Order: sequence, then C-alpha cells, then structure tokens
Amino acid sequence: MIQFAIPRALRPSFAAAHASRRTARSAAVRGGRPTIGLLVATLVLAACAGAPATPIPTTAPTATAQVTAPPATSTPAPAFPVTITDDEGTIVTIPRRPISVVSLTPAATETLFAIGAASQVTGKVEDITPYPPEADGLPIVATYKGTEIEKIVALNADLVIAGGLGFTPPSAVAQLRSLGIPVIVLYAASVNEALAGIEAIGTATGNADAAVALSRAVRGEMDRLAGLTAGLAKPRTFYEIDATSDIYTVPAGSLYEELLTMAGADPITTDVSYQISLETLITLDPEVILLGDGGYTTMADVRARPNWSGIRAVMEGKIYPVNDTLITRPGPRLADGLRALISVLHPEVRL
Amino acid sequence: MPAAVGALAPRRSSGFRTAFARRPIVVGALGLALLVFITILGIAAGTVVIAPGDTVAILAHRLLGLDVAQSWTSAAETIVVDLRLPRVLTAAVVGAGLAVAGAAFQGLLRNPLADPYVLGTASGAALGAAIAVIIPVRALFLQFGLLHALAFLGALSAVFVVYRLSRLGSRAPMTSLLLTGYAVSSLLAAGLAMAMYLSGAGLRQIFAYLLGGFEASSWGRVAVAAPLIVLASAVIFLRARSLNGMLLGEEAAAHLGVDVRRERAVLLAVASLATAAAVAVSGLIGFVGLVAPHVVRLIVGPNARLVLPLAALLGASLMVGADLVARLLGEIPVGVVTAVVGAPFFLALLRRAQTGYEL
Amino acid sequence: MIRLDGVTALYRDRTALRDVTLHIAPGERVAVVGPNGAGKSTLLRVVAGLLRPTVGIVELDGHPIDRLERLAVARRLSVVPQLPTLPFATTVEEVVALGRLPHEHPIRGMRPGDRAAVAAAIERVGVGHLLGRDARELSLGERQLVLLAMAVAQDARALILDEPTVHLDLRHQVEVMELVGDLNVRDGTTILAVLHDLGLAAHFFPRLIVLDHGRVVADGPPSDVLAPDLIRDVFGVDPAFVRVAR
Repeated sequence: MIQFAIPRALRPSFAAAHASRRTARSAAVRGGRPTIGLLVATLVLAACAGAPATPIPTTAPTATAQVTAPPATSTPAPAFPVTITDDEGTIVTIPRRPISVVSLTPAATETLFAIGAASQVTGKVEDITPYPPEADGLPIVATYKGTEIEKIVALNADLVIAGGLGFTPPSAVAQLRSLGIPVIVLYAASVNEALAGIEAIGTATGNADAAVALSRAVRGEMDRLAGLTAGLAKPRTFYEIDATSDIYTVPAGSLYEELLTMAGADPITTDVSYQISLETLITLDPEVILLGDGGYTTMADVRARPNWSGIRAVMEGKIYPVNDTLITRPGPRLADGLRALISVLHPEVRL
Repeated sequence: MPAAVGALAPRRSSGFRTAFARRPIVVGALGLALLVFITILGIAAGTVVIAPGDTVAILAHRLLGLDVAQSWTSAAETIVVDLRLPRVLTAAVVGAGLAVAGAAFQGLLRNPLADPYVLGTASGAALGAAIAVIIPVRALFLQFGLLHALAFLGALSAVFVVYRLSRLGSRAPMTSLLLTGYAVSSLLAAGLAMAMYLSGAGLRQIFAYLLGGFEASSWGRVAVAAPLIVLASAVIFLRARSLNGMLLGEEAAAHLGVDVRRERAVLLAVASLATAAAVAVSGLIGFVGLVAPHVVRLIVGPNARLVLPLAALLGASLMVGADLVARLLGEIPVGVVTAVVGAPFFLALLRRAQTGYEL
Repeated sequence: MIRLDGVTALYRDRTALRDVTLHIAPGERVAVVGPNGAGKSTLLRVVAGLLRPTVGIVELDGHPIDRLERLAVARRLSVVPQLPTLPFATTVEEVVALGRLPHEHPIRGMRPGDRAAVAAAIERVGVGHLLGRDARELSLGERQLVLLAMAVAQDARALILDEPTVHLDLRHQVEVMELVGDLNVRDGTTILAVLHDLGLAAHFFPRLIVLDHGRVVADGPPSDVLAPDLIRDVFGVDPAFVRVAR
C-alpha cells in the first residue's frame, strides 16, 4: 500500500490565514505494508495535534487605527436576494440578508468584523493568531482536522464563507451546498483579489457600502505605502516560509510576491512547489532574509545552518523575523502587513 | 479483538468453532443485532448533542412516516436525516463491501494476508484522486467530483492492468497476480508521490483521501455507491461455491466442477468493482477488508456461503463503529481507527502465517 | 466411459503423451504404471479435462470432454487431488464436504442428502476419528485419507487417483486398495489410478497400462503386462526386485 510522511509545517499552516498554500510540500511515499504507513501517519498526526501554537512576534507596531472603515452608516436594506460569483466561479444566490454567517477563514472573520457584520457572525474557524479580539467568544466550527458540518447546521447558518485552494475541504463545501446552505469560496493570489473578496463578503452579508469603503481605504493606504518605496533600491530578498528540512519560499505570482515587491524588495521566488534548493538560494545570494517562520526560527538558527554562512544576508546580519499572519492573510490588515515589511526592509522610510 | 486474536492459536479454534458452525442462523442473528445496535449509536452520537428521544422521534417521523409531535428543531432534523443517516449508511455499505471483497480476494488468491487493496486498487485510486486534485476542475455530478470519478477509474484500471500483465506467460496465475499487483502498486505509489509533490495546496486534500473518512457522506453519494457495492457483493455471494472449491487450489477446484478461469475473472472483476466503489466514496480505509473475513472464519469456518454474508455484517459493524469512534475523537481519520484496531490482528496473522499452513 | 483416441499432449512445452489410444469401460478398474516422467500425471490431467490435447480426442461417456461444463464433468468423474495447501483453518469434515460442491444447491448449499453422503464417505474411508481437527495439522497420510473421503463423497461414477498411497503405511495402503476395490465391485465405480508400486498395482488391479516416454507400451492383465523384459526395459531394474503374484 502506501506510506506517508507528513511535512512538519502541514499543521501550523492551516490556522494561519490562507497560508494553506504553504502546505505545498513533498511527501515521501513509497510502497509498503499498510500497517506501517498508517501507524506512521497516526504518530505524525498525533504529534502535530500536540504542537503548541507559537506566537509570532510582531516587529512593526501595527497601527490598525490608520485603516478602518467608516462607521457603517445606516446600511439601506440591499436588494436581496443577491447573486455572487465566487472565486471558484460558482454562482451563489443568497435569498435573504444572512443572520447566521459562519466564517471558515481567518481573513473572512477579520473582514466580517471590520465591515460591521459582527452581529451576524455565529461561528468561525480556529485561528492560532486570533483577530480581532471581539471574535474570541464565537463557537469554533472548523479546525485543521476538518469542518464540523453538524455544528454549522446546528447554528442554522444561512451563509458560509469558505477558503479556496483546498483550505476548506472541497467535500465540506459540496456537503454544505447539498444541504441548501449558500457557500462562497474565496481565495486571493493578489491584493486586488483580496480586496474583491472583502467586497464580496460585504455584498453577501448586506454590508456592501461598508465593505467597499474598507476596500478603498486599504487600497489607498497600500498605494500610498508603495509610493514611498517606489524610488528606493530593491534588495534581493529571500522570504523564508520554512527551512526545517527542505527550504520553502514564496512562489511567483502570489500575494506574498506582490506585497514584497510593493514593500520595495526584489523577492526571490520559486514555482508552485514552494520549494527552493540551497544551491539556487546560494547562487541568487539574497541581501535580506525575512523569517516568515520567525515564531520558531531565530537569526542564530540561520547563522548556524551549514553552508548558509556565505550568503550575503547572513554575513551582513540582515535577517529579520516578520509577522507572517499580517502578510499572508488577505483581509483588512494587509496594509499593516505591508507597513511591517517596509519598516524592516527600508527602516529609513517614514511611514 | 484480543479474544479473537487469542482464538487464532492453533487447535483451540476447532472446538470453539464447531459449536457455532452448526448454528449459522444464530451467528447471523447476533451479527445483525450488532449492526443495528452500532448503527443506532452512530446516528445518536455526534459533535452536536441531540437528545436520544428526539433522534428516535425524528427517525420515526421521517423514515416510518409516523405522526409524531414535533419537539425538535429543524437543524436537528437536518443533522439526523441528512448528515448522520447517510453517513452511517455509507460506512455500513463500504464496510460490508470491503469485507466481502476482502473475503473474495483471500479465497481467490488463497492468501490469508490478502485484502481488497492487494491487486493495486488502493494505489490506483490514490493516484487517480491525486491527479484529480491537481486538475483544477471543480464540477460536481450527482454530488461526485472529479476526485471520486478518477479514484474509481484508477482503482479499476490498476486491477485490469495487473490482471492483463499477470497473464503473460505465467504458469502459476495466483502467485503471478500477487507479484504483479505488488509491482504495479509500487509503480503507482511512485506516481502518487510525484502527484503529491506537484499538488501544492491540494496536498491536504490528497492526504485526507488517503486516510479515508465518511464526513462528506450524502444521500446522493449513497444512492450511487450502494447499488454498485450491493450488486457486486450479490454476484460474489452467488459464487460462494467457486470460492469454496478454490480452498484446495485451482486444480482441485476444477476437479470439483469450478470453471476456474471464468470464475477467477468474474470474481476479480466484481470484487474490484466493490472495492473501487468503496474507495471512491470513502477513501482508503485499511484493515476492515482484511480482518472481518478472518474473524468470521474463526467463528464459522471457511465455508464461503457463511463467511461472505457474515463478513458483510461484521465489516459493516466494524466500519460504523470505527467511524463513530473517529467522530467522538474529533473527526480523526477513520483509517487511523481501523489501523489501531486492525494492526494487532494483522501482526497475529503474520505470526501464524510464519508457522506454515500447508495441507 | 473414458475414451482416448490418438492423444498427444504437452506438459510445459514438452510432449508428455504421444498418440495414446485407450478405452476404459464402465466398471473397470485400471492402474497406470510407468517410470517417473512417463506421462502418467499428464494422462490423468487429460482424462480429467484439465489439459487439452494438441492432437486427438478425449471422451467422457461419449461426450467430447472439452464440450462438457466443468460441473457436468465433476458429477461424472471425481479426482483425488495431490496434497494441496490450505490457506485457512479447515476442519476434516469441511474438507470432505467440498466433495459435494458439484451436487449441492447453487445458493442454499448442502441439503440433507449431501450431508448424508458426507457422513457416509467419512464412515467408509474411516476418518471419523479425525473429525473436528484442522486438516492442516494432520499427518500426510491422514490428509491423504481425508482427500480420498472427499472424492468418495463426490459420488461420481468414475474415480481417478494419483498416487493415492505414497504417504501411507503398509496397513493403510492395503486398506485404501481394498476400499478402492470395494467401490469398484460393490458400487460399480470405474477406477483409474496412477501407482508407483508395481506389486500393489498387480495385486489389486485386473488391468494395467504401462506408460513409457509418453506412449502406451503395454495394456492388459498384470500377468501379461509385467513380463521380465518389460520391467527391465521400461523401469530399468532387475525383474527380481518386482515380485508379481501370478
């Protein structure tokens, strides 16, 4: 039969917003006896389940106050039913203004609270870096282990916002839809898509005006920040997602890459496998290393790695932990993420 | 389970067994009672607490059409009728199908260590599912996605290839089948590794498939998978005589009136069909197909006429029970539960196999 | 009952039978003898319909055997198989009951008549003391008797035995031969047996067929067939080693 080895980072990646793409890992698979394969899988799963959620230190002060939506001015009852085409191309009709919204991505949770839909939200996905604090009391209906459909049904959910690219298991999405619950699936590979997602959530929940205002505010702030780095030198930057065994970095065409570029970096990218060889990395010789895995990796760890000592960033000590959550979560705090990146890459810039 | 493993010890089995062998009806009734009991538990338990009274009332109302005063919420009704009932039924049907297919493969290959996956169905289905995850198509037909379709086709194609390859100039068809199955499985596993490597964000989904589970069950899926599995099992039941003949080997089977070549092809095809349908709806769940037939043989002996239906009952009960445990432990993969229960049994079986068992 | 006409057959790409013609009438008792590799087992496989001759005709009760369903063959012809391996624990009575496969109800299985036949076969072959035991744990000789009981339970008009006595002690050899004689005389069962022991063959069988290099080199009563010259030529031993009662 089949044997597996689950990559170490499989589990933390779930709870981090939309970082499901980080799960792109190879898994050693070879023929063998089912007993062993399943036992290995069991052990690894058990080990993963027990791993504590590591808090990720924030380097830059997050000035959330700078980007907030204008207070939801008496939203005029929008024309429900509304029809939305979600990011997977599914056409979803929401018959009434939802009064029990379940958020299956941390980004959606943040967005819902930022657009004044807090009173409509009844359940959320587990989040190891929870935000906002107001969402803390909500019942958790999904974890890295899966989506608990029964709980969602018991909440009488009339709208579910799910994550794409497999973040929410497609089978769960199909099942919810088969029960007549509208599900919109969102994911974002760019800032524009992230903002479109915010607006889609607004439309779906009857908070369109606030959502549009929020998305414009975020766009405006990000454009302003990008403008500040426009003329600066762009250091070749290696963004480390994980390097515990193999080395993982950001793929080309991802939200990561776009943010790094806006922050005035020249990011080293790879393909959809997220993997990069040490040889390639040494050849590309980054000037700056950003530790997206800063929760469990320090500059000393990087310096101690064999064969890394010749890399320019290592020699010059330009290794900085960053708050991965802010950068990868396609929600209302994207501008904060961008600001955090700029403050590390270009500390001279006055934000 | 420990009791059953103990009963594997040589000689002790016979007396224990003959006591039951004369009363297959009693064993069958016990098996049925076990299945009904576990099924009721499976419907009553879940992450959301629904009062047992309400559960019974909902079932009576919806299934039997009884006019019961409605004391429950519509959410509770949805949970019981549209989530738990199809889930338990899927588990039962898949468990029964795998157990029957396992019994057929063990009898056909004359190998007590054979299971429904031995001829490549598992790796074929896994590769199919992994490829489906990589292909960015999200269409659903009858609540089945590309993943289910490719898993189903992958399982069947793998067995077909194994069967055709094994027939090339071979004099010991069963040994050849087993070895070819192993070789093809290894090759497919390499393909699976590659697909997983390329799958990016889909890795989680592939992984979930490999460990199997019933959380995505629905009436629509039961309606497609159950008839396939039931039909294939029925065809196998009707061929109990052929499986009995093969107890003594193919040549002896031929002397006893079995058209070995034809029966082998038919049994392989339908057992693989049942397995493919099972793995398409529930992923790869090990051990039930291996263990259920053996436990039944320990109780009633090797007569396929008894083994097949009783293994179906036991397999269904084991699977519903394993799914229940998986659910109560917070939706852990059901394959993990069956492995924890089945692995000790498998080891005991291996130990026994080493002592030899030629007639 | 059994008729072979001009049969040539291959065993593993080697010609094992060449132009064999023989006829065994209903109720006959025939032993096939010959040195190793003479084609005896191939002959039995051809007669049982398991091996298709490349040339020639094999008939069972006047029907070409390859036109008959396996089930029809099994009802006419039972074969004591070589000692096979058993994949699962199987009791002695379960093995004997396999003899009823050609007769039992396709769905319901054994009927009272089948059970009676099993009990009778167990009684007749004398394996009653082995009931309840796992057939895999019996001695070679005991297993041979159990398989004989299975073939007897099959209740066919012809019985084919391939070296039925190799693992048996002298007493059991004689008992099996007497049982075979009894099946032949009392029940009219046609018997075709491959034997190594020329003495046993000559003593218990009125007709011997001698095979050598795939050909029938002699066919007739033991006294005619087992001439000293033939024993020397075919078996390559001094005829003094073979004492044939004349």
